[in-house]
Amino acid sequence: MRQLVLLVVALLVGSPGFARAADPGVTDTEILLGGSNSFSGPLAFTGTQLTKVGVDLYFRGLNEGGGVHGRRIRTIYYDDGYRPQDAVANTRKLVEQDGIFAVIAPQGSPPVVATLEYLEQSRVPMLFPFQSSTATRGRKYVFSGLVLSDRQSRMMIDYLAGPRKFKRFAALYQDDEYGKSFLSAFETDLGRHGLKLGATEPVKRGVTDVSAQVAKLQAAKPEVTFLVLTPGPAAQALKERQKIGWTDSVMVSTGPLTDETYLGLAGDASEGVEGLATLPDPLRSDQPGVKLYREQLQKYFPKNEPNRYSLSGYLAGMMFAEGAKRAGRTLTRDGLVAALETIKGWDTGIVPAITIGPDHDTQKQGFWVKVENGRFKPLSDWLKSEP
Amino acid sequence: MALAAWGLGAVAALAWPLLAPPYFVFLATLVAVNAVVAIGLNLLSGYTNQLSFGHAGFLAIGAYTAAILTLRAPALPVPLTLLAAGLVTGLVGLALGIPCLRLDGLYLAMATLAFGFVVTEGITNLDALTHGNDGLRVPLARLGPWTLATDGSRYYLALAVAAAMILAALNVAGTRTGRAFLAIRTSEIAAQASGVNAAAYKTVAFVLSAFYTGVAGGLFAFVVGFLSPDAFDVFLSVDFLVMIILGGLGSVWGAVAGAAVVTVLNDSLAGLQTYRPLIFGAILIACMLFVPGGLAAMTRRQS
Repeated sequence: MRQLVLLVVALLVGSPGFARAADPGVTDTEILLGGSNSFSGPLAFTGTQLTKVGVDLYFRGLNEGGGVHGRRIRTIYYDDGYRPQDAVANTRKLVEQDGIFAVIAPQGSPPVVATLEYLEQSRVPMLFPFQSSTATRGRKYVFSGLVLSDRQSRMMIDYLAGPRKFKRFAALYQDDEYGKSFLSAFETDLGRHGLKLGATEPVKRGVTDVSAQVAKLQAAKPEVTFLVLTPGPAAQALKERQKIGWTDSVMVSTGPLTDETYLGLAGDASEGVEGLATLPDPLRSDQPGVKLYREQLQKYFPKNEPNRYSLSGYLAGMMFAEGAKRAGRTLTRDGLVAALETIKGWDTGIVPAITIGPDHDTQKQGFWVKVENGRFKPLSDWLKSEP
Repeated sequence: MALAAWGLGAVAALAWPLLAPPYFVFLATLVAVNAVVAIGLNLLSGYTNQLSFGHAGFLAIGAYTAAILTLRAPALPVPLTLLAAGLVTGLVGLALGIPCLRLDGLYLAMATLAFGFVVTEGITNLDALTHGNDGLRVPLARLGPWTLATDGSRYYLALAVAAAMILAALNVAGTRTGRAFLAIRTSEIAAQASGVNAAAYKTVAFVLSAFYTGVAGGLFAFVVGFLSPDAFDVFLSVDFLVMIILGGLGSVWGAVAGAAVVTVLNDSLAGLQTYRPLIFGAILIACMLFVPGGLAAMTRRQS
């Protein structure tokens, strides 16, 4: 009996949730951030590179330089294995038990969307989720981390129907929120050019055999075929295309797909593929921010190769630090949101100057690339997605 | 003495939301949900010795039934929603149980494993009902004029349901049906020789087990608030099996204890998930080597 009482008391006293200050996660010397991410399951590599390498890399450098207003930044991550219910439990634990100040760089539409309502109601900022569906837009405490699908579509269609003068379009898309949000955006944007999306073929998530869909698309004779897929099936589609000798259509990949993993999987079948890239080449870009990223990666995490995921996480860390710096020494969640909204024309040295408007989109631009000799070669300058 | 202990336990369970921080209330709710699944699985695997790797599928059917019912008929009180979730899942259990009766041991395990995959595939493809891979946001549960919007209210709902299910399971265990289940576990041939219709009782066990899991699925939907087929993978089914093996096969309280330990352990291991399968595997092996009867047998040995 006495033991039980002691246990209950210990639990209550020990939990940071019980005696909570005005805004948790901020002390005189520390800011605590956290997130639920994939460290197992299909997106484990992406999740690890994004957070434990990318985000933490920026904070390592920042902390060694004294942090933000004298506060060092610490991060906690829990694994959800891409399962929404685990993401919900992890996020609640981070907010209520660990007392994080904000969520940073969660990944994937299902886990992100599952925690959206809870975070918004609890007034906890969700910073820079790594997903491109527009479901996260229009919320007070959410700032997007990738170029959202409608902006990507606008840049892609304006470029392809504009300077490139293509007329007939088709799409091979993943049959979920990711694929469908792109598809409807393509239709809207083609409509502005007086064009229509021709043949579309769905691919169920997790399926790897896409030969039937590729054959049907070839029969439709499009000039451009969009690939709105994940790296596995997209690489499969390219190999299938090579096998059946389908050469008279330009294959175009969406932003989330345009990365080196996909090139590696497709091998020489990826030659000539085009697409929209939303980050500069992490290995070769001579942008000052990307160079610094490579130097720090070499210094702190020498076992990791540069890639777009860790670069994206690095940028997320940089954006948080900028917001926290602007919010001043008295850091609150609402103060951070207000401070992020003041960012106008801010140069990161990685992507074009960032301006955060009322839609809370942080990333708005991309540039056109084409695969030549197994790497992405830029074909355009940074494109704009503003109407 | 025993009565005092039970009383104390009941008071602690009832007072929990007033004492504990919100996250622990949420965690306790998950324990209650998992306990209902574990009791259901135990009726099948623990009592009649039929191994199932498909209970995540039953949980999914219950969860989606409850969620879709609440979306289509928001005024329906939550006990009816949960009952409907249980009944629908029970019917699926019946449909699956009849052909699966012809299988035993490894083959039944394989059939149920396949069932789990069929369910998630089905959910993915029935876009119009389930929103497929995009996931389904579950509206708040309603009970007459009240909306169960707080952690506390959902905790009491899960606690009440779990209590009812525990009582029912304890009663089943004591009836002719329960004894028939245990007889089948000990030896199917001997049970049949003593006049137990093994096929019929195995079906009953299957349906009951599915019903329990379906009700738990309904609770799960309201507690988590968001459903997607990714949530119900085969590893979840394995977690349920770990619960009953750790707790003790064939013991209702063992299932509850196993559910509590696995849920809390899962939660505290969220930071090092890479080692999670290793830790769970080690627990299973240790259980089989040192305490074959699980937690239930440990307490029995002491008393």
